[in-house]
Amino acid sequence: MLLVHDVLDKQLTDRHGVRMGKADGLVMLQEGDGPPRVVSIEVGSLTLARRLGRRLGRWATALARRWGGKHTESYRIPWTLVRGITLEIAVDVDAEATRVNVVEDWLRVHVVEHLPGGRP
Amino acid sequence: MSRLIEIALGIVTGIGGFLEAGSLATAAQAGSEFRYDLIWAVIVGAVCLAFLVEMSGRLSAISKHTIPDALRERFGIRFFAVALIIMELVMFMVMATELGGVAIALEFASGVSYRWWALPVGFVAWILLWKGTFGLIEKGVSVLGLITLAFVVGAIHLHPPLAEVARGAVPRLPAHDHARYWFLAVSILGASISPYLFAFYSAGAVEDKWDVSHLTINRITAGFGMGFGGIVAIGALILAAIILHPLDVQVDSFAQLPLLLTGAFGRVGFALFVCSLAIACFGAAQEIALTAAYMLAQGLGWRWSENLPPAEDARFSLAYTILIPLAAVPAAAGVDILKLTNISMVLSAASLPVIVAPLLILMNDRRYVRDYGNGWFSNTVVALITALAFVLAVVSFPLLIKGGG
Repeated sequence: MLLVHDVLDKQLTDRHGVRMGKADGLVMLQEGDGPPRVVSIEVGSLTLARRLGRRLGRWATALARRWGGKHTESYRIPWTLVRGITLEIAVDVDAEATRVNVVEDWLRVHVVEHLPGGRP
Repeated sequence: MSRLIEIALGIVTGIGGFLEAGSLATAAQAGSEFRYDLIWAVIVGAVCLAFLVEMSGRLSAISKHTIPDALRERFGIRFFAVALIIMELVMFMVMATELGGVAIALEFASGVSYRWWALPVGFVAWILLWKGTFGLIEKGVSVLGLITLAFVVGAIHLHPPLAEVARGAVPRLPAHDHARYWFLAVSILGASISPYLFAFYSAGAVEDKWDVSHLTINRITAGFGMGFGGIVAIGALILAAIILHPLDVQVDSFAQLPLLLTGAFGRVGFALFVCSLAIACFGAAQEIALTAAYMLAQGLGWRWSENLPPAEDARFSLAYTILIPLAAVPAAAGVDILKLTNISMVLSAASLPVIVAPLLILMNDRRYVRDYGNGWFSNTVVALITALAFVLAVVSFPLLIKGGG
């Protein structure tokens, strides 16, 4: 398996097969002299911004600190919960129970539901 | 019957993507200035489009991933970010053109300047996306869009010289105004092979839950829908050649375009033209607004579907909610819609490689298309189109400066 080719940027699906964003980043850990190993997959726009460039990353981080409240950092899915990698990465979590959709939910409550017909 | 309804996706793509302000205006310009000489460009555009649309549908039917999905997953975030920015800019320009086209149609109908119509038109486009479903938009546009057949009926009614029309189907060097000729050829190709179409069609295939069993219908749809759009555009070109060319009218504003149908049908023709322009442009505006939101949502991993209520995919729905009113601003500010049309068609042609070149790779990636990848023939065709796309990208800006006026 090639990490960049097969994992990074791929579609994530949760335990129920629901799409839960893309693999925006990878967290690697190096212990002792051994080779680094992947510990988790990161999902979040901050990670994306950092990958696109240092300056963009810094701006995004500052912006998130200022406006983002407490859920600013990207969500991490432990590598041990990865169940299969095909065109999609299946992970053993429940998307609804995570905070990958925190922006989605905030916008629903604060914007969409205030627009005509926005309440389902 | 349900299969028949599925062809609607092709027709809506054909009308919304092929037949819109851009193709109507460029076809009319071509006919009025060069008579039948540029028919070949419309045909080349329609054939390229049919091939690429078929591939987009096949990619999504097999992989359940859309083109924006695949751009991100297969080529990484950096490539995707570049593609996203280029595409969103082009889509914004074309959407501004289309909203302007509807507004102009309403000006023809009401006498009230198009500037006042732009924002209300944008609002109606938004409310339909906000409240409607993909199926509603798909079927609504394809049924109403049949009115554009008036261009074909009109062209046949006026008995065009068939030998000359046939000769126009073969590319050849112009007798005069070289820069203008090639500028119009590029505009026609840009108006036909719009890059956002492929993203739209592939998202449509996922919205309509296509799978392997849809491959045949996909092929029919692509051919039929794009053929439909192409034939209507050729009808408009022939009408311009017959009606505008002898009058020595160079199309320099939309106000001259109703002549195409009044020349064939008299007063009724005026109403037919107004309805055709309004519906074709409105369909295109809806399609582009959706595609602009699809592209963001699919590439960045947001929830998306036009079939979900906006509360379920807030980011996706808010994306088009913000884009539509912004795109209505140029027309509301009184920008010349025909100039805007020509510029956006050239930009659209220039942005083609961003989508077409990756498609060549994706259609041969077994992880996406499994055993349904391109054969040597499709690969040759798409390689030729990619080469054409790069040529268009390079020549479009110099031609815009030399031949755009």
